[in-house]
Amino acid sequence: MKFTIFHESRIGKRKSNQDRLSYCYSRDALLMVVADGMGGHLHGELAAQVAVEYLTEAFQRESLPRLPDPFLFLSWGLTNAHHAIAAHAAERGLPEAPRTTCVACVVQDSIAYWAHAGDSRLYVIRDGRVLAQSRDHSRVQAMIDQGQLTAAEARHHPARNRVYSCLGGDHTPQIDFSRKTTLAAGDIIALCSDGVWGALDDATLVSTLESASVTDGVPRLLDEAEARAGETCDNLSLIALNWEESYGDNTTAMVETQTMPLDTHTTLMGGFDAPRPRDPELTEDDIERAIEEIRGAIQKYSR
Amino acid sequence: MPSQQSNQPLPPGFQLDRYRIERQLSLGGFSIVYLAYDADETPVAIKEYLPNSLALRSAGTVPVVSEEHRNAFRHGMKCFFEEGRALAHLSHPNVVRVLNFFRANETVYMVMQYERGRTLQEHIRRCKGAIKEGFVRNVFSRLLNGLREVHAQKLLHLDIKPANIYLRTDGAPVLLDFGAARQALSSDGPYLKPMYTPGFAAPEQYEAPDQLGPWTDIYAVGASIYTTLGGAVPPAASARLVKDERVPAEKRWAGKYSKQLLETVDWCMQLDYLERPLSVFALQKALADGGAPQRDHSWADTLSQRLKGLIGK
Repeated sequence: MKFTIFHESRIGKRKSNQDRLSYCYSRDALLMVVADGMGGHLHGELAAQVAVEYLTEAFQRESLPRLPDPFLFLSWGLTNAHHAIAAHAAERGLPEAPRTTCVACVVQDSIAYWAHAGDSRLYVIRDGRVLAQSRDHSRVQAMIDQGQLTAAEARHHPARNRVYSCLGGDHTPQIDFSRKTTLAAGDIIALCSDGVWGALDDATLVSTLESASVTDGVPRLLDEAEARAGETCDNLSLIALNWEESYGDNTTAMVETQTMPLDTHTTLMGGFDAPRPRDPELTEDDIERAIEEIRGAIQKYSR
Repeated sequence: MPSQQSNQPLPPGFQLDRYRIERQLSLGGFSIVYLAYDADETPVAIKEYLPNSLALRSAGTVPVVSEEHRNAFRHGMKCFFEEGRALAHLSHPNVVRVLNFFRANETVYMVMQYERGRTLQEHIRRCKGAIKEGFVRNVFSRLLNGLREVHAQKLLHLDIKPANIYLRTDGAPVLLDFGAARQALSSDGPYLKPMYTPGFAAPEQYEAPDQLGPWTDIYAVGASIYTTLGGAVPPAASARLVKDERVPAEKRWAGKYSKQLLETVDWCMQLDYLERPLSVFALQKALADGGAPQRDHSWADTLSQRLKGLIGK
């Protein structure tokens, strides 16, 4: 497999980041997961974390180096993650099982398979347009499907955040599966939480990801989403993948899995709070001191 | 790189501290360099810290830094200080001299001696492949004196290329632009990418930033000489790692320049840094005395080659 992958999660203007994401790949298979813990319920981030961890661990167990059946993996993975959240809640004595949306995608043999519950989305982009995308489990999406609402009206609809399927909670989730989608070199797959797609229109999402490698496109899209969402910015999470059969220019970011041992995985998972590592702040005093020091050195060494 | 909004330079005539801006000299990803005059009408070059991806000046004089980029902006400033600090400790005729350092417009400025002359890049363009071996040996040997000082300060330049080598009107080369110096910037996520110039950047700058060393600058020196000899930039190290289509100097300019010089260039441009001269001194020796680079062949081989050369004449 050859691809470039990039992920980023930002807190937005919220108090905590309840989004979780992860990707993981073996020599022959790749898994990407985005889960958006539901804020209206307690411990949304816990549900998201359990879902992402569960799927990633299952993937590591089963893809040695291939998954026997990607759809079956997704089906069991999401269903078991749902039960794992409930079990976790019971163990911790939580009054109700926390909830999370979840979208997960497997790529194997250049074929993409995905499944989701809730309104975290997946897009497949080819030649500047959306080739396929997941259909939200939300009331507004249902209304759009029935012709009661246009996509533009839905953006401001009061119930736009209401989802009727999720992992965790009391009900068995509705999980929808994609068709097998064969990828071509140059295709882009993007998985994101509603903070991202809610703040952007599809055209911006497509054009930004098309215009640059995902290593640049992802941060730019999140910048854009943050700017547009302003003070009410939700958590933003995005994983995007450039599928590459041919050599790209940027050999450092591109992954080549052919030489990986059959029984190992490379995993990258955002931690519980996953803050960007921060440098100690350079204070005003530090700046003044640095300038003084440099001036001193200039004096001393000038001839 | 994707196109980014670029920053507006300060306007001509702008009074910046005790300097008057004359015009913009160059615009980079991290800074703008101006030609300015001090109170005594002495020309100086002023470098303004202004990373494109973090700070935006569309109007007025003070760049806007968003809350989100504040830390990264300050971190980059630290690196700018490191550059200033390092240069302040260097007083060498072949390294650009820092004269002052100050703060204004919520960013920082480094004042450097302004040299009259032209860059090696311009010189190459004007000479169109008619550059003599003596010139190459002379310019680069002297330049390496400066680079030795730089390395002695535990600093790496990391962006040596003909555009950053200045030829003063008296012919002395001066190493400019330490903006890429140090690799500390690379640790700060996608905002501040390490800079490198394809063709001159060594493979480890793309692939293994933990393996940077004097040999990294030596690769760039080799690539700069390669460019000086032929007028064209060699293929990028990243492309060479995939499929090396660089014609060895030894082959490309055989007969035009001495074998020893061409071998030295190829020695510097080895993809594996262990195969390159490991210190500037080793390279200087090869350039200055015209002796054989210490490689696979013995001095006897070289001697016999030279004898053949003599007999050939």
